[in-house]
Amino acid sequence: MGIMEGLISGFLQAISLAVFPYLLIGAVFGLIIGVIPGLSGHFAMAMVIPFLYSMEPGAGIAFLLGAHSTVAQGGGLTAIFFSTPGTGQNAATLLDGSPMRNNGLGAMAAGAALTSCFLGATFGAAALALLLPVLQKVVLFFGPAEIFVLAFLALTFVAVLGKEDITRSLIAALLGLLLAMIGLDNVTNQERFTFGLLELRDGLELVPVILGLFAVAEMFELWVSGGSLTGSQTSPLSVKETQSQIFRGMIEAFKRWWLILRCSSIGTAMGLIPGLGSAPAAFIAYGHAKQTSKHKETFGKGNIEGVIGSEAANDAVEGGALASTVAFGVPGSSSMAILLSALFVLGQETGPKMLTQHVDVVFIMIFTIIIGNFIGMVGGAFLVNPLSRLTGLRGSLLVPVLIAIVFTGAFAVQRSWFDIGIALLFGVIGYLMKELDYSRAALLIGFVLGFAVEKNLYLATQLSGPYFLFDPIPLTLAIITIAFLAYNTWSIIRHRGEVNEDAG
Amino acid sequence: MTGTRIVGQAKRIGLVWLLAIFALTACEPVEQEGPPKTGAAAFYDGRIIKWIIPYSPGGGYDEYGRMIAPFLEKYTGARVDILNLPGAGGMRGVNELFNSADDGLTIGTMNGSALVMNELAGMRGADYKVTEFEYLGRVVADARVFVISLDSGYTSFEDIWRKGKEVKIGATGLGGSTYVDAVIVNEALDMELDIIHGFDSSSVVRQAMLRGNIVGTWGSWGSALDAVDEGRDKIILQSGKQRAPDLPDVPTAFEMAAKTRNPERAMAILNAWESLHAVGRPVAVPPGTNPERVAFLSEALDSALHDPELLAIAKSTGRPINHASAEGMRQIVTEATEMRDDIRQLFVRAIQGEL
Repeated sequence: MGIMEGLISGFLQAISLAVFPYLLIGAVFGLIIGVIPGLSGHFAMAMVIPFLYSMEPGAGIAFLLGAHSTVAQGGGLTAIFFSTPGTGQNAATLLDGSPMRNNGLGAMAAGAALTSCFLGATFGAAALALLLPVLQKVVLFFGPAEIFVLAFLALTFVAVLGKEDITRSLIAALLGLLLAMIGLDNVTNQERFTFGLLELRDGLELVPVILGLFAVAEMFELWVSGGSLTGSQTSPLSVKETQSQIFRGMIEAFKRWWLILRCSSIGTAMGLIPGLGSAPAAFIAYGHAKQTSKHKETFGKGNIEGVIGSEAANDAVEGGALASTVAFGVPGSSSMAILLSALFVLGQETGPKMLTQHVDVVFIMIFTIIIGNFIGMVGGAFLVNPLSRLTGLRGSLLVPVLIAIVFTGAFAVQRSWFDIGIALLFGVIGYLMKELDYSRAALLIGFVLGFAVEKNLYLATQLSGPYFLFDPIPLTLAIITIAFLAYNTWSIIRHRGEVNEDAG
Repeated sequence: MTGTRIVGQAKRIGLVWLLAIFALTACEPVEQEGPPKTGAAAFYDGRIIKWIIPYSPGGGYDEYGRMIAPFLEKYTGARVDILNLPGAGGMRGVNELFNSADDGLTIGTMNGSALVMNELAGMRGADYKVTEFEYLGRVVADARVFVISLDSGYTSFEDIWRKGKEVKIGATGLGGSTYVDAVIVNEALDMELDIIHGFDSSSVVRQAMLRGNIVGTWGSWGSALDAVDEGRDKIILQSGKQRAPDLPDVPTAFEMAAKTRNPERAMAILNAWESLHAVGRPVAVPPGTNPERVAFLSEALDSALHDPELLAIAKSTGRPINHASAEGMRQIVTEATEMRDDIRQLFVRAIQGEL
């Protein structure tokens, strides 16, 4: 089957009556899962699998992937309205989303977030479609040496996130790297920093850490400061005002198509790299949006570009993450592993056979992501009004409910009481960091990328010896990293000079 | 066919949902019609069996559990709820099972060979005794195979047998099954292949094979199938005392033992290795469970694993069933735990990464 033929057949199947209803149900289901903190796309897919045994392949894929694709959209809404990332990948959205809500622009942020998600996902899916002829080569591009250098490059974005106070950012990032060391080391089989606790043997789980740092910390703040989530805004917005804000947000997102394009590219590229996941992609895109913005100083205080950049990236990851699954039947993430086993249940061949003989199935996936996100955008817009009304509630009413939901989310990942303690502990850490002006984003980037940097450095030296950095591709990437760092260092020094001159 | 099954599934999913969101064990007895039941059958009728899976949703262990659960419901009359308890390399869920109430309402799957090894090595966190569980039977024991990428230029085991460190083979974490297989066979067959461990998962190992970073890896037969069918990889050695019916042209490690420097020792190591693999993925209940209920459950598992409908699903989804009875399981576990001292030392060193 040719690619064009597959494209048309895939599209017709995706919108056919046998498939589309499942896509719709899946997308709505994913949206709701996303709104609930702690429940992720991985979880949504695992819940859907038992239904697949009695389903047709096209319908099953649409159901499963539809549920997975809208999770980030639901999670973005929770991040904006409740300062609680619905899923790990929405943590970056919160940095500017919740200040916007405090400024009375919550619905606008939501409109922009939903639209950016849709556009980002469409970009990622389209990139996957365009790469199909060379997909196998693209996937094999990333070995341990390349991943090491790329993860290191991503790590240097910490410098951008905390330009105003580089010392504090570095402290936060290094703390993140240290936290990544906790657990059983794959290489030496030694337990590190586990304090003899069996629960720490597998390291810190990402979801409770994110929920603690961002959600629980916000709850503390709300509890300490009193009032409601809407801050100084006393009366909630009228339905009409909310609607007009949503539309304005959507238009703002479309206006910034160039930013969306760049952040989606970051997301798609990070999706291609196995094992990085979408949380760092959103933060890197956030850093990029800040780096290139004309109004850097308003980031963190409610700049819509921060919301658009991170939401575009976290959904663009999908297209990239599908690549190795489609090209070789080798899953790049835990969600993709579930997708792969689901394809098996549905009786589909994966890997090269799928590319040559069933390319229409690949296009069903691609169109499912696009259409699913469109449904998520429209469906999400209907959730904005009820959610934004809730934010007007007094903190003393809202905090206990949200804390209960957040702790349940932390518990649900591994059914572990210990993880609730982790969420609480990181809530305290997150609150202190926010009060003392340390970057929580830098800590999270350090935490997530610490694994990737360390493991791939070890593998690269084992496979290619200590001079692996001088192989052509890693060398090129390393030069880019150094150039990026040099530019940032220079601009920090220059910035300091200006400040000093102003002072003088 | 499946109206009731789907409803059953929907109910189960709904429950897992509730569990996850509210951490509540909401119960709702299932009404069933039919002749009055007696003994264990009467006890289980309408009850809820909690099935502990010591790995995350979506993994191989989870898939097996979710595939079998509806059939276990059919033969017990109870509702079976899957409870994923991942962590500590599968030990967390098994510790939980070991300490659960012995009322016969909690059952669990385990990663047999890894758990036996962890206990033998006295690993921290191994707070169970494999010999004290009551076994209901075994679901499957994977054949282990040594698979290489054909792009490497090698085509048979003889090609790489006497090669040294220049042949790199991949493995996941130190002490993981792909790693233990590789070092144990290295040791038994006097090989000096370079074992690169530390890959995140078997998927990442496969990717390194595709890139040509490594020549091959040990793994389960099922997971190697796809790439072999596509003509990219080749299985060059298999576990098992006899060649598997599906792999008539692939030599077993045992066949190679005779050509080593010390065939007697090689055979002893391989025998121990084999008896560990035979443990496979058993289903067990906590120690001290009422024998009548154990007998009822093992019979139900036996019937479920021989149900033609389940076998059809298993076949079409590439998840082989390789049932061993409760009685057979007891023997297998005894054999696996009774190792010669020097061999036990060898395995302990292997999982601790000292080989």
